Amino acid sequence: MPSALTFELIARCSTTKARAAILTLPHGPVQLPLFMPVATQASLKGLTPQQLEETGCRLCLNNTYHLGLKPGQEVLQKVGGAHKLQGWKHNILTDSGGFQMVSLLKLANITEEGVRFLSPHDGTPMLLTPEHSIALQNTIGSDIIMQLDDVLVTTSPDTKRMREAMERSVRWLDRCIAAHANPTTQNLFCIIQGGLDLKMRTECCKEMVARDTPGIAIGGLSGGEAKADYCRVVNTCTSLLPEMKPRYVMGIGYPEDLVVSVALGADMFDCVWPTRTARFGNAITKYGVLNLRHARYANDFGPVEEGCGCVCCRIGEGGLGVTRAFIHHVAAKETVGAHLLTMHNVWYQLALMRSVRQAILEDRYPVFLKQFFSDQHGGDKSNYPDWAVQALNTVGVDLMEE
Amino acid sequence: MASTSRLPGTGRKILFEILSYLDANAAGPRFGRLSIQGRRDIETPNFFAVTSRGVVPHLTPDVISTYTQIGGVHVALEDFVERAMNGTPPIMNCPGPSPLHTFTALPKSLPSLLAPRRTPAVSAPNGNSNTAISIFTSTGFQLLTNKSYISYIEMLRPDIAIALADVPYGALPGTKRVAKMGGRTQEWLSQLLSEKREAQVVFAPVLPIDFLDQSEYLNNIADDLADEVSGLAFYDSNLLPDIPATTAISKLPRLSLDEPSSPRQILRQISLGMDIFTVPFIGFATDAGIALTFRFPRPPPTGVVISNGAGALQLGVDMWPAVHSTSITPLDTSCTCYTCTSHHRAYVQHLLSAKEMLGWVLLQVHNHYILSEFFAAIRESIKNGTFDADCKEFETTYESELPEKSGQGPRVRGYHFKSEGPGEPKKNKAAWGNLGSDDQEVDGGLVPDEPASELEEKGFAEKMED
Repeated sequence: MPSALTFELIARCSTTKARAAILTLPHGPVQLPLFMPVATQASLKGLTPQQLEETGCRLCLNNTYHLGLKPGQEVLQKVGGAHKLQGWKHNILTDSGGFQMVSLLKLANITEEGVRFLSPHDGTPMLLTPEHSIALQNTIGSDIIMQLDDVLVTTSPDTKRMREAMERSVRWLDRCIAAHANPTTQNLFCIIQGGLDLKMRTECCKEMVARDTPGIAIGGLSGGEAKADYCRVVNTCTSLLPEMKPRYVMGIGYPEDLVVSVALGADMFDCVWPTRTARFGNAITKYGVLNLRHARYANDFGPVEEGCGCVCCRIGEGGLGVTRAFIHHVAAKETVGAHLLTMHNVWYQLALMRSVRQAILEDRYPVFLKQFFSDQHGGDKSNYPDWAVQALNTVGVDLMEE
Repeated sequence: MASTSRLPGTGRKILFEILSYLDANAAGPRFGRLSIQGRRDIETPNFFAVTSRGVVPHLTPDVISTYTQIGGVHVALEDFVERAMNGTPPIMNCPGPSPLHTFTALPKSLPSLLAPRRTPAVSAPNGNSNTAISIFTSTGFQLLTNKSYISYIEMLRPDIAIALADVPYGALPGTKRVAKMGGRTQEWLSQLLSEKREAQVVFAPVLPIDFLDQSEYLNNIADDLADEVSGLAFYDSNLLPDIPATTAISKLPRLSLDEPSSPRQILRQISLGMDIFTVPFIGFATDAGIALTFRFPRPPPTGVVISNGAGALQLGVDMWPAVHSTSITPLDTSCTCYTCTSHHRAYVQHLLSAKEMLGWVLLQVHNHYILSEFFAAIRESIKNGTFDADCKEFETTYESELPEKSGQGPRVRGYHFKSEGPGEPKKNKAAWGNLGSDDQEVDGGLVPDEPASELEEKGFAEKMED
């Protein structure tokens, strides 16, 4: 099928499956591997588009479900799409809305036609189909759109239902491709399903790769499954995916998950955690997450993170020199505290991915990984999570060796 | 343009020059310049933005420097000292030559004004004493003695400090109380003046009571302290005409803590000779979702004219109504603020209705900008000698009060208000409820709240045939 992107592979790690690439989308190029912050309702939690731009972000998420309800398709059409609505000059990715339908709506159930639900307002039975989802995303005008998939928690023990969901997702992909009105300006990504069953994932990969979408997502994860299972699924899928297409693992955002997933061959990630946790007063740093609402930070006049280049931490021209003590003073009391930490956390996530990319370019990703885990756990190897150690072992990195 | 070189070498870091006025001997509007060492000069009349816990609500310091032209900030000590009961408030440990600026990451160009209490302040259940006032911190009411207030000023080094005043918030003071207020305030002011660093700039409070009831105190300032205080802070602007018109007193800058509720009241105070304002209604308008649209003295020719039908123009536009949902015009077509040049009404309306914090950020940027422009136009008018006529035109052009609010504001915090007693309804609506339980409403735009036919029209989903 046609595509509106180019994918240029720049470097491959000689040990792990990590890759560095340039993905050129309708609103400009982005550097992979990449973390995408989530601007659910067409705004990134109090940040102006300029502030988001200053974090280095060039591709952020909007949620189709939320935009479909507010402001709705009609408004989006009149305004001219989500870019115009939010004054964002760079790229946008939208999900299909299916995940929120199932997780937020009472009595939603999935049939071959689509997601059936009762209107919470008046109880009328309603239906959201793959065609609706694509039409909405076409109106939104996002640079990357996602197929509607049949999402099931990966931990579901019902293999029959899991198979049905996987096969239905493939059939729905066909309907999405057929319904997609703007294949030359918007990139449709398929979503690999199949739970934690590697055979089912393999089957799904084959079917979906054959549909030749511009990019490929691995879905259904980040739903409470064991991390080891998660890593097996990602590792299995990336081995089956074409090298010259971007691979997006949905819903991933913890720094440890990101660096391991990159080693397993994934390129793109999104998660609400960095921005959500900022609103709870948590700062993400190289040495772990700091809860700045804790009294120990009340008199800490150091920056949120030493050496951080974000507007909030930076001192001097254009930097604010915000201290931990000040965040402690305003966190959970004034929204400005949340805005400042949101800027910092998004910057951290993007800077982490930039340093990951640099390490891949210089072919020193294994060394990077060792340093990363050492920093996160204060150099104490006994604290390293087993799943990460094992997963990195499968791609030739032994975190435990001296 | 910080021009510090021409400050007189008295050790004082402030210079106020009156550049233009109608009549030197009578009360009237005046155009001036306030220069504070190391900060950007402020042309007056002008306003200082009101802060809460050291921040201008909704605006990060980078947004303040990039997108606003505010003259300075009003900071309340009570926002910083909740830990004073069992230790030293952290801000007192903040390193650097100007801890108040450093702690709050306030842009260096902006002058800071420290007052004991927020504006507007919550009334305290206990009164003030001969040595202390009641303040309201984020953890409850406390006493602030003049002694500790002086030491806070000493440590925090605000550009301007307002001396402690015996101001009764809430109920009107009785005769006995009134008799004490002037004496206490005079005592506190002279303590501050005798103990402060030479360079510390102090504004003397003028109490919200009749001149006669505080004449001893005010005459004391006029006769003995006019060279030691650097300005007057009015809790009631009506006192302005009563102030002894000595040369020394007249040349002091005058700050209004009088909480004007409308632009008209600002104009009235300026006509009495007020120089600097704190304007809480900017924040009220922002939180209510109202974009201010007034200009002085009349809307610009390209401006959108919003009339209520009676001939008078509205002072602002409520951005909540759905009529704005597809409007890609700016909040105010002739406004050149960040919000109006980069965004449109449809986005602001969407953000408000989705309760996204950015909605209030954009309104706050715009509303502060409108006030800056308003004051700039007033200064022009005073310079041109047309102030009185322009005020009359403004009064016939615009309504007297801001429009009513229709939508919800952002969440309010405990230190923003005082509870009225048991059985009070919740100040904030629950943003989340339990999913799946029938007796609880889930709100926040997460489930569709429109009828099925509307959802279908919106293209969100379709009705099913049964």
